[in-house]
Amino acid sequence: MSSVIWYLYEFARKSWAESFAGAKTNPEIMETPDRFRDFPQVIPENCIACGACTAACPAPKAIKLVRSEDNSHEEGITYPVINTRGCIRCGFCAEVCPTDPKALLCGENHLIREEFTILPVEKTFTIDDYLCIRCRKCMNTCPVEGAIFEEDNKIIIDKAKCISCGECLKTCPVKGAVKGIYVFNVQEQKQIIQLVVNTLEKRIEEEEENIKQLEGGEVFKVDLPIDGLVEAARNILDNDDLILDIIQKMTDRLKMRIITWDHGKCNDCRLCVKDCPSGAITYTKEGGVQRNADKCLRCSVCYQTCPFGVVGYYVARFLLDEPQLEGGVIRITVKASQLPQGAG
Amino acid sequence: MVRSLKDIIRSSSIHVCLINTGGCNGCDIEVVALLSPRYDLEQYGIYVHNNPREADVILVTGAVTEQWVEKLRRIYTKAPEPKIVVALGNCPLTGDVFNQEGGSVYAPVSDFIPVAAEVSGCPPRPSEILAAILSVAPGAIAARGREKK
Repeated sequence: MSSVIWYLYEFARKSWAESFAGAKTNPEIMETPDRFRDFPQVIPENCIACGACTAACPAPKAIKLVRSEDNSHEEGITYPVINTRGCIRCGFCAEVCPTDPKALLCGENHLIREEFTILPVEKTFTIDDYLCIRCRKCMNTCPVEGAIFEEDNKIIIDKAKCISCGECLKTCPVKGAVKGIYVFNVQEQKQIIQLVVNTLEKRIEEEEENIKQLEGGEVFKVDLPIDGLVEAARNILDNDDLILDIIQKMTDRLKMRIITWDHGKCNDCRLCVKDCPSGAITYTKEGGVQRNADKCLRCSVCYQTCPFGVVGYYVARFLLDEPQLEGGVIRITVKASQLPQGAG
Repeated sequence: MVRSLKDIIRSSSIHVCLINTGGCNGCDIEVVALLSPRYDLEQYGIYVHNNPREADVILVTGAVTEQWVEKLRRIYTKAPEPKIVVALGNCPLTGDVFNQEGGSVYAPVSDFIPVAAEVSGCPPRPSEILAAILSVAPGAIAARGREKK
């Protein structure tokens, strides 16, 4: 009852009658808010006429590069002109504009700022969605609130919040689902990877005669103690954790093509030199065709090109037994069924 | 007497016919935003429906596909005098992103029917659409006058 009286009282007031009779939209609603991304603003002096804006523009008639007329003492400047009848205000042109300060400005939301953690860490962590079983153990152990979150049924690490403590990696029950990636010494890491690949290749080449004896279905096994490898790697970078990490990751996922090169069969036709995507194969008059193992991607394109069966490859798999640097052994497996046709 | 009374009433009540001639529907959604209580189009005396026979203003969106070329002309002839066309968004002006090389859109709309006002933007803001309709319609209706029999 009291509410009914309250309603009647509300309707009887003058202000209600006024707002009922003269209903108008709040003028603020009609104003364009600051965040609205309007047509791009052109600053002709900054333009270098690279054409990136025209290439990025999705609308065919929206943007045009024009050049102002030359006068007696100066060349005319080139700058983009926005046709507001075609422009869709996407801001791509401002985003791609490479000059500093930019020749095109369009809203603040297109200034890309990469997410990063301000802590000086040497490792970042990501979750491999393919391997993740969504047990959420990492979420529960993570000491930072909200650093690991779930979105669209995916577990994601927020790089801006992560403090790189590595707790998620320790609790993760799946090998490889949480990946710790070293972000420093990338050049040295490359060298160590190169070293491991070349050592493994050399070891297999030593056994080439034995591998050729294999019959279909047989498996050839050979071991490589990693002591020497570790010693050489330490010369490149003295960080045992990183070396172990690299060797372990490589042996886990590497399915290496071991390239063999039978120089005796080579007729110097040089078809492979042109086809090699990394330029690892070179030709000199004195030395003939040579392959640079450090540059080689092991893609086996040369194997497919070579008409004389000079090039061959084995497919080898690896396993690091006892994941530790002291006394660790890489077990190499080569299958006979994958032996190259040209090698025999 | 009745006719002139009607004219007075009609001058403050604009009937709008919305035509999408093959666009992405973004502009039409902005018109729907105008109809919503936030912008409340009808407080200005504008009524949106899709009957060209009683339309004061024809709002054209879209880049004019092949099927729409003839239909657009037909709709225009059906509208009563004075015929006022407002091209809404970039599609009827230049064809926008649809006007690619080898595409089959027939923009601009002004090739087929005379356009009284243009609203650029992809899509334009609801307030821009409203301003365009209000700037064109009452004046044009008053200037040209309704067809008297």
